[in-house]
Amino acid sequence: MTQTLITESRVLDALRSVMDPDLKRDIVSLNFIRNMTIDGESVSFDVNLTTPACPVKERLREQSRQAVLSQVPGVKDVRVNMTAEVRRPPAPETSRIKGVKNIIAVGSGKGGVGKSTVASNIAVSLAKSGASVGLLDADIYGPSIPIMMASSGEPEVSNQIIQPVTAHGVKLMSMGYLSGEMPLIWRGPMAHKALQQSLLGVNWGELDYLVVDLPPGTGDVHLTLVQTVPVTGAVIVSTPQDVGLQISMKTLRMFQQTKVPVLGIVENMSYYVCPHCGGRDDIFGHGGAKKAAETMGIPFLGEIPLDPAIRKHSDSGRPVVLAEPDSASARALSEMTGALAQQISIQAFRTIPLTIIEE
Amino acid sequence: MLTIPEERATPAEIRKKGGQGMAIRWGDGHESTLGARYLRGLCPCAQCVSEISGQRMVSEEHIAPDVGVEAARTVGNYALHFSFSDGHTTGIYSFEYLRRICPCPACAAAEPGEDA
Repeated sequence: MTQTLITESRVLDALRSVMDPDLKRDIVSLNFIRNMTIDGESVSFDVNLTTPACPVKERLREQSRQAVLSQVPGVKDVRVNMTAEVRRPPAPETSRIKGVKNIIAVGSGKGGVGKSTVASNIAVSLAKSGASVGLLDADIYGPSIPIMMASSGEPEVSNQIIQPVTAHGVKLMSMGYLSGEMPLIWRGPMAHKALQQSLLGVNWGELDYLVVDLPPGTGDVHLTLVQTVPVTGAVIVSTPQDVGLQISMKTLRMFQQTKVPVLGIVENMSYYVCPHCGGRDDIFGHGGAKKAAETMGIPFLGEIPLDPAIRKHSDSGRPVVLAEPDSASARALSEMTGALAQQISIQAFRTIPLTIIEE
Repeated sequence: MLTIPEERATPAEIRKKGGQGMAIRWGDGHESTLGARYLRGLCPCAQCVSEISGQRMVSEEHIAPDVGVEAARTVGNYALHFSFSDGHTTGIYSFEYLRRICPCPACAAAEPGEDA
């Protein structure tokens, strides 16, 4: 009987046949394989992905297992442990928030498209998948995140640093906290200062993702955000209605002009499923955002139904992905978040570092 | 607004040559050398270019010959900010703008947006 020795390099050679579908490279050259141990006929290793919210996690696990079993002679047992470590895109250390790896802006062309609902469900979905997540409510005109996340407490301030409130595993900061019950009647410079403080003056700690819920449209807050920190990318929330979409395109162009990669478009209030008869009605038309995304070459992240349950759970402070995780709406939101996390990982690999070399 | 192809307005390397100015190598391989006085004279801020008429109010001939770039930093992903030795700090120079004002003979001769 010939005994072939199982070596680490043979296992790695086998794993080179497994491709990450998003980064379009094999998982060995991406440096995903960690902690390999070979014990007799069993092999075990970690596959360290770029996001815990990876939608193809199970597929990669199975492909890795099969690759080693079929290509390395003598292996009887393969144990694949899926881990994740969110990579930070390269950018100068000085202009970012210390400890925050990715900053994701959520914007929309006009108000009332459900931007904050989408942002809070993205944040909670990412946290549920095991990532460390912050959510900054930068909507100075209608800060609604504290209600949607049921956080009534106010953040504490110590040594001029704001300690964020934690709700549903997400660290929260809202411009609403700065004003209490009073409306924010601010001129540009006030909004500018307040946002800078909410970004840089908060003890965010180590975060994989900081989701920033922007005010609708394009204005002071948007400019301050893109000028203060390197934004990993932006998500645009739209409704299928044409007028909403046309205005969203302006938001999109603003991000493009300031070199913020647009990670994708979400179509909210996409269709209505009648709770009585189960029939589907495309109240605002349907598919407009998808078509626009295709024309502009931007990823389409998903369609979220107009579902009273989403509204109800947002109003009661427990986002639907937590309150009814198995409902069709929650699944649509989780899948959309997975698609977004993929785009963030792709972006982190694509970004070239911007540093100034002093001579 | 004039737009130029993505890789031409994406810097591959940015160097600050002491106080004398900047050298930028672009995604398409082109290199731009931008002197301090030239940059200061083409500042795009609202004090140097009238916001209503778009007319340039401050240009290179108004600037001291020995002006220097004291500090340069990146602005988000899209621009550079300079602190000049004459105290002027209000301009934000987008990469697209910097590429467009490249003073090399080839770029200066070409029509804006055309390949040099």
